[in-house]
Amino acid sequence: MAVKTRSRRIGPPSTGTTQLASRRLDQGVARYYRLYELLSAALQDGTIAPKSALPSEPELCAQHALSRTTVRRALDRLEREGRIIRRRGSGTYARPHKAIPRFCFDLNALPETLAALASCTTATTLRFEPEGVPAHLRAIAADIGPTAYLLERLRCSRGEPLSLTRTYLPEAIGSRIRRPIPTRASVMMMLDRLGPPTTEVSCSVGAVPADAAAARLLEVPLGSPLLRVRAILTDDSRRLRAVLESLCRSDRLQLKMMEPQPRAGG
Amino acid sequence: MKDYAVSRSTVRRALARLEVERRIVRKRGSGTYARGQGSPTSAPSDQPPGLTGTAGVPAGTTSRTIVFEHVATPAFLLDEQSAFGDTTLLIRQIRYLQREPVVLQTAYLPQRVGARLSRRQLKGKAGAILPLLAALGHRSASLEQEFAALPADPLAASSLGLAIGAPVLNVRAVARDPQRRILAYINFFYRPDRYEARTSVELGDATRQRADRRS
Repeated sequence: MAVKTRSRRIGPPSTGTTQLASRRLDQGVARYYRLYELLSAALQDGTIAPKSALPSEPELCAQHALSRTTVRRALDRLEREGRIIRRRGSGTYARPHKAIPRFCFDLNALPETLAALASCTTATTLRFEPEGVPAHLRAIAADIGPTAYLLERLRCSRGEPLSLTRTYLPEAIGSRIRRPIPTRASVMMMLDRLGPPTTEVSCSVGAVPADAAAARLLEVPLGSPLLRVRAILTDDSRRLRAVLESLCRSDRLQLKMMEPQPRAGG
Repeated sequence: MKDYAVSRSTVRRALARLEVERRIVRKRGSGTYARGQGSPTSAPSDQPPGLTGTAGVPAGTTSRTIVFEHVATPAFLLDEQSAFGDTTLLIRQIRYLQREPVVLQTAYLPQRVGARLSRRQLKGKAGAILPLLAALGHRSASLEQEFAALPADPLAASSLGLAIGAPVLNVRAVARDPQRRILAYINFFYRPDRYEARTSVELGDATRQRADRRS
């Protein structure tokens, strides 16, 4: 499944250094796919409202500095997927989309969210074995030590992949986890059955391009945006229970959080 | 090539990109090597980001207001938040950390809140919208946030110095006053190599018991 590459540069000359830099960083992902992904996101989140017109092909060429062939390739794909309708002599329109059910992950209601996740999704265990902990996770949770039990799971809802999670468990905890790993329980539920319950979860949320493994398992093209959630689970005595890193498809999983605001001056 | 089942030219393209990002070194006749973790911009994702939280004004940042105008309320806001009137104050800003762009943010303020606001007042608060509103008597009591990973559109890409389609961290935030009235709807596009949102959730006995009952 080789991606065809073309060395010819298309579009108007770059005007500034920023653009030049971004051009170079753009190497490695097919151009049509970038446009496809943008339009796809706009159609899904309603930026391009159902039944409204998309920009014309020449407009898309100009806005994105792409050739007509590339623009057409992106539109062809959206048309094949039934997301747009092209009317000769009139234009291209967004099709009213069938609502894709998104799972709502609410950080403020973590126990409820995990219970709901456990009841309506399944997690397949891909790996469970002792493994070296990557340096970036050791940097945020030094207590984990250089090796830990790695539990890698792919979570799906009705066969559609939602997230890929790698959880590192300290050896003392990981060695007590019995196999087979249940497909319905969350990591926190499994851990809470074993000992002192998790009382604090520190999270960070970022965005990353899908690497080869994530792209294959989550069924997205290489380089697609994924939400990356890292979490550190600790118990009441602030002892580490687990460190995890989850890559989520944000078209299928909605991550929410409510932050109370400090009083003025706080 | 074998590992990923892709062609030679595709492999070269990927390596060329990593080289541009200064994450690998290619030595002729020897091989390709991972670089040591360099400056924050060259080894982004594993470095602690310079900013956290979305509500306040992060220290050491500057902002530039690129749009400040009253517009007809966009359809998506009328659908989601009926409290918006016919017109809305739109404020679009780029925020920088050490002169590097970190976030493109577009705020929509209901007429009730935005009508009396001036660009000069915003400048007086270093471009920070919620602190300015608080100073004018519209204190926000809560901030609901929704996170997504999206491909950068042309505006976000050019504002943040990214390629079109590169991943950005999107945060949609709704600030409400103590009476639960909407103060602002803000759409943030963060450069993911320069920002991640952080939060800590405490699981008290109350929440745990509730969950136990349900399961």
